[in-house]
Amino acid sequence: MNRLRKEQLVGLLMVSPALILLAVFFLYPLVNSFYMSFHKWPLFGKPKWVGLDNYIFMFQDERFWESLKFTFVYTLTVTPMLFVVALGTALLCNAKAWGTTFFRSIYFLPVVMSFATASYVWLWLYSEMYGVIIYALEFFGFGGEKKNLNVWKTGTSSMWAVNAMVTWKFSGIQMIILIAGLQAIRDDYYEASKLMGASRWQTIWNVTLPLLRPSIALALILSIAGSIQAYEQFVIMTRGGPSNSTKTLVMHTVDMGFDYFKLGPAASLGVIIMIILFILTVIQLRLFRKNY
Amino acid sequence: MRRYSSDWYWYYAINYTLVIIIIFPIYWTLISSFKKPSELITSEPTFYPHDLTLQYYDQIWNFDRLKRLQDTETEDSDSSGVEIESKFRLDGEGVKRPFINSAIVSAGTIILTIIVCTFGGYALTVLKTPLKNFFFLLVILPILIPGISLIIPLYKLLKDLGLTNSHLGLILIHTCGMLPLGIFMMRNAFNSIPSSLREVAMLEGSSELKIITSVMLPLAIPGLLTVMVFAMYVSWNDYIYAFIFINSPENTMLNISLMKIALGGSQFEMKWGSLTAGSIVSFLPIIIFYTFLQQYFVRGVTGSAVKE
Repeated sequence: MNRLRKEQLVGLLMVSPALILLAVFFLYPLVNSFYMSFHKWPLFGKPKWVGLDNYIFMFQDERFWESLKFTFVYTLTVTPMLFVVALGTALLCNAKAWGTTFFRSIYFLPVVMSFATASYVWLWLYSEMYGVIIYALEFFGFGGEKKNLNVWKTGTSSMWAVNAMVTWKFSGIQMIILIAGLQAIRDDYYEASKLMGASRWQTIWNVTLPLLRPSIALALILSIAGSIQAYEQFVIMTRGGPSNSTKTLVMHTVDMGFDYFKLGPAASLGVIIMIILFILTVIQLRLFRKNY
Repeated sequence: MRRYSSDWYWYYAINYTLVIIIIFPIYWTLISSFKKPSELITSEPTFYPHDLTLQYYDQIWNFDRLKRLQDTETEDSDSSGVEIESKFRLDGEGVKRPFINSAIVSAGTIILTIIVCTFGGYALTVLKTPLKNFFFLLVILPILIPGISLIIPLYKLLKDLGLTNSHLGLILIHTCGMLPLGIFMMRNAFNSIPSSLREVAMLEGSSELKIITSVMLPLAIPGLLTVMVFAMYVSWNDYIYAFIFINSPENTMLNISLMKIALGGSQFEMKWGSLTAGSIVSFLPIIIFYTFLQQYFVRGVTGSAVKE
């Protein structure tokens, strides 16, 4: 056996564990999710071809539209919150000043905590009567005379409470992306803008932000894609309540599959989520390739 | 930025305020987990614990032993008629077993990911593997479709393979999720190593395996650490897979067992004490990693998001 032949064989051997894992735990489930979405899955017995029935069932289900609507509302509210904090901290960390490395590592710190742990932590901060945030809010006069503030009382207040947690937990990632974008801007631009006598805000508005556009787009897409996959924060903090008003798409899928054992409709929900995320990722890769 | 001293005053004022806001939830959880019940549940919160206690950590960690003790005490009191003052009723869940489970899954994911991605990255970079570019595209394909949209078929698959309720199932799924970033990182790392090093080693008669372990890997350590840290991040912080694929109490993962504490709890102070202690226990391993391997952490976590 000559050397090239041997090297090719060794190469195939070495890449095979990755390929096998990929085939079994990615490609097969991928194909199967379409197959499952076109079949009825009884608890016992063989699956039956039902065409688009699962999709029709899903689209006629009010809970699907409610969860879709809530997921969009959540995405549209949390994205600006994340972005403002991320941009602010990125600008602060990009200044030529002492201590930026320290500030950056602190601003990134909550990112390393899991969404689950962060949810438990904030559950305690929001805890009725004894949570420190509730205490602070009541101190400043929220909740009225009786002091019975409960953020989980309505769907809207629950969502904003979760949004605050997510902003705390997740803006660090976008900050890093924006910092990378900021560092790619050459000093010449700032110097030119200084020579023209622009104020600091004018410089940020007219020089920094336009040049940062690709990174901003990337950060926004990332936050949108992440919010559409929202699960832990709502399962743990609101449990979808009150009265299912904070149920996300992924939560609805899990309920459908594992509480009602309707695997067919659940698989078709998975396909819908997949298509939404696929489109977003393609846009994201496009942006990335174009600008880097 | 123009450098007036008042500007810098504001600069640091804003930064330190933000630092306090970011740190506060973690600090508050930490001190809450050490407060005595009477201090934990009070309408006048204290900003540092006046009396330290380890009772919540004791309860969640030694839950099983305490439960047994409590059960025998209750029996004794029934038979002798003597009322034993019980400090608290045990609620919720112990976290010792789940902690070990999570540690096993994380360690397994890290080891398997490193093996698979090192070999995969090596074969797709250094060696003249046939169909190299096609395989690489295939391996990074999962970035287009997040695993969360495949939970239903994945559940079906694990069930058919008999891997639900097992650590191995979770390890395999996490490792598969790590493939795109892992192989990408290892490929970059190997690419930056001059090929002459390998040729020299080959002339000396080293086998391919020997070349990887003694020549290539020592030079690829930054890439390796990034992959390792990210594998830790993904497996330790997972919730949804652990929630869906594991359903027996003895195999529960840490994040799920905390949910049982959060849901249960007829005694308010024990519930919140245990939950804050549990949150600290689950945050501790990852914060240790972050402290020592910060730059790899930032690169891994954002790299996964950006999918370079």
